[in-house]
Amino acid sequence: MTAYLEVVGLEKRFGGLLALQDCSFAIAERRITCLVGPNGAGKTTIFNVITGFLKPEEGSVTFRGRSLDGFTPQAVVHTGIARTFQNLRLFADLSALDNVMVGLQRQFAEEPLGAIFRPLHAARAQARRREEARGILAHVGLADRANERVRNLSYGEQKLLTVARVLATGAELLLLDEPASGLSAGALDNIMALLRRLQNEGKTLLVVEHNTRVVQQIADDVLFLHQGHLMAQGTPQEIIADPALAEIYFGGAI
Amino acid sequence: MDFWFSYITLAEIYVLLGLSTNLLVGIVGIFSVSQAAVFGVGAYIVAYFLMAAEPMSFLPALGIAAVGCILLNVLVTLPSLRVSGDYFVVTSFGIQLLATAVFTNWTAGTGGANGLPGIPPPDLFHHPLESTGQLTLLCTAGAVLGCLAFFLIMRAPFGRLLRAIREDELAVAAAGKNVLRAKVSAAALAGAFAGVAGGLYATFLSFIDPSSFDLDASILLLTMVVVGGARTLAGSIIGPFLLLALPQILTLLDIPTTIAAAMRQLLYGMLLILFMMFRPQGLAGERL
Amino acid sequence: MLWLQLLVNGLETGCALGVVAISFSLVYATTKIFHVAHAGIYTMGGYLAWWLVTHGAPSAVALLLAVAACTVGGAMIQSQIYARLERRRATHLVILIASLGTLAVMQNIIAAVFTPNILQFPIPWAANVMALGGEVRLTWAQMLTIAVSLAAYAGVMWFAHYTILGKRIRAVASNPFLAQITRLQPQSVYVIVVAIASAIVALPGVLVPLDLGLQPYGGITPLLTATIAMIAGGVGSITGAFALSIVIAELQNLSLLVMPGEWSIGITFFIFVIFMLFRPTGLFAAR
Repeated sequence: MTAYLEVVGLEKRFGGLLALQDCSFAIAERRITCLVGPNGAGKTTIFNVITGFLKPEEGSVTFRGRSLDGFTPQAVVHTGIARTFQNLRLFADLSALDNVMVGLQRQFAEEPLGAIFRPLHAARAQARRREEARGILAHVGLADRANERVRNLSYGEQKLLTVARVLATGAELLLLDEPASGLSAGALDNIMALLRRLQNEGKTLLVVEHNTRVVQQIADDVLFLHQGHLMAQGTPQEIIADPALAEIYFGGAI
Repeated sequence: MDFWFSYITLAEIYVLLGLSTNLLVGIVGIFSVSQAAVFGVGAYIVAYFLMAAEPMSFLPALGIAAVGCILLNVLVTLPSLRVSGDYFVVTSFGIQLLATAVFTNWTAGTGGANGLPGIPPPDLFHHPLESTGQLTLLCTAGAVLGCLAFFLIMRAPFGRLLRAIREDELAVAAAGKNVLRAKVSAAALAGAFAGVAGGLYATFLSFIDPSSFDLDASILLLTMVVVGGARTLAGSIIGPFLLLALPQILTLLDIPTTIAAAMRQLLYGMLLILFMMFRPQGLAGERL
Repeated sequence: MLWLQLLVNGLETGCALGVVAISFSLVYATTKIFHVAHAGIYTMGGYLAWWLVTHGAPSAVALLLAVAACTVGGAMIQSQIYARLERRRATHLVILIASLGTLAVMQNIIAAVFTPNILQFPIPWAANVMALGGEVRLTWAQMLTIAVSLAAYAGVMWFAHYTILGKRIRAVASNPFLAQITRLQPQSVYVIVVAIASAIVALPGVLVPLDLGLQPYGGITPLLTATIAMIAGGVGSITGAFALSIVIAELQNLSLLVMPGEWSIGITFFIFVIFMLFRPTGLFAAR
């Protein structure tokens, strides 16, 4: 049986630095898998390789049995995978609603000819998609912040918005880069509840996370990465209980 | 009265150029000093077809000019999208200088440095428009249609996509959208606007020469967008009307003709510096 | 033989261009600003020297004062315009436009004061011709240009690799972020770099017009060609910029054998497009 998402033998170099070496793992559908490991372990690099932002020196990425070799970031999204960024990368001067709408796929008049020559149709189509976007915002709990500029949102709200944007793409596999970092307790519970909700709706989540409490609460599986290589794999309890891993994580080894 | 018609008509033609430059510089964010070159190509194409052995009607000639300028703009911006923005500065200067060289030296095609006199007036379905009033009406129609098109695209998802690309291209790619295609489309549109402006200009003035399409002219176009304001419809209208009024105001200052052109360009340069330093959003625009 | 003459002329033009290229490269590699106003400094140097010479100053003094004035001019552009804009977090585009505006202001002040007509230096000895090997003729001005340019190249190389300031500049150029958080003080380095680059570019700014005359808008084409040489030679490589300048100048000159001179800009541009399509990082990109 082919794995849902499979990464085999990834190698990625940056000049003299080996960010990923012989990195291999698979994740199962409809599970929340957490990617943990010390800083510099290569977690974001894996995201970048899977989503086509970086080309690996070696190795392959397969999604639903289909190779993602050489796919551009846009093409990867079209296969059903979308990602968030550690530093959010929201469109600061656009409203929350606009940010979500940029994520909606196959919009009419997202090119000039339709906009100019079929303006009425464009307006109607856009009104419909706008409602769709409002729905997504409501789903993540930002319904009443739809028209606010991103720069006026709180950090917690901005993080929710990054999730809304990937949801807008319609992706089934969501790669979330530290969705819980920097959040207050209330916002943290909020976002964990959201992630669980998404899973129940059929989404698969691969989450990079540093917060052990978050990992314990939401992860079905944990992948422990170290020096660009998969060091251990298991349930949250197994991984967190392992003293050797704890030493690597907290002991200062890079 | 004729003076006012003249000013308004010219301003309307430059509104189209303002929209074009705003699309390229303000919205896509490409530094372009070659807008006047594209304008010139449009003008020369229309002039050529209108004065050919078998003269073409105005609207088809305009169509050809628009297509030609679309292709030119696309060709020209494609390298910028492959390499870093600064390299495009060189490309843009190069294109402008190359265009001026062609306009000035290819005497057979463009009349060379002496220009092309005797361009016939535009015609609507073989009905010539010869009075100043009719020409003004035509250019008004052109400007209004251009503004309408601009308004429609900025209001549509395309406009949102362009704004997002300006903020963070990577995030737009991560959202599954084709950034290159959007930028090229915007550049193509800018080319179309410039081509149409060129056709209207050639038939309105009935004489064109390379000096209207040189680097100084490109700087003027940039100044219009900077002063009027980037990325907005209002800015694309205010800029041209204001900047075209300036030379008239300057004539009140009794400057000797030998240095009049230099004084104008000096003023444009100062406006560029001052607005960038103290008001980058222009009078009615958004921050560049 | 014509082609030998063309080659030697190309060497002279190429050397002068090379100085423009390395001075521009200094600024661009360090500050990352595409300093188009550099063409204005180049022009300003020539006109200042001309004005001094026509008012009785000895040539050497005129040259030195022109260099000094350009140094100050360049430093002021960096500190008063670019630095201020960077403090306000202006985008790259804004700085570019400000630089363009500065260039327009400089060129047109010169055009307004000196008229747009071509001016010649009233220096008779500059036009004296030396015949080399009977076949090739060079004016004293041209020979001086070659000598000074090569000296400038050597000087900049020595400065960049053997002086503390030079090393500091290279450090800032290679990692501005790191420079910011260590004690390298990039902003003051930027002013120094632009000052030095402006001083250097004053040299061809004065020497080239000895031969070709002064024109207010005559700085753009050399600057454009020089930046193409810089990019083709690899940004950050001084030798690359200088060498490619000579190559381009030679190609432009040799093209005169087959096409009229007005199209020489076409050659330069064509070369540039080829490079951009196949090798955007240039030949000798600095690591």
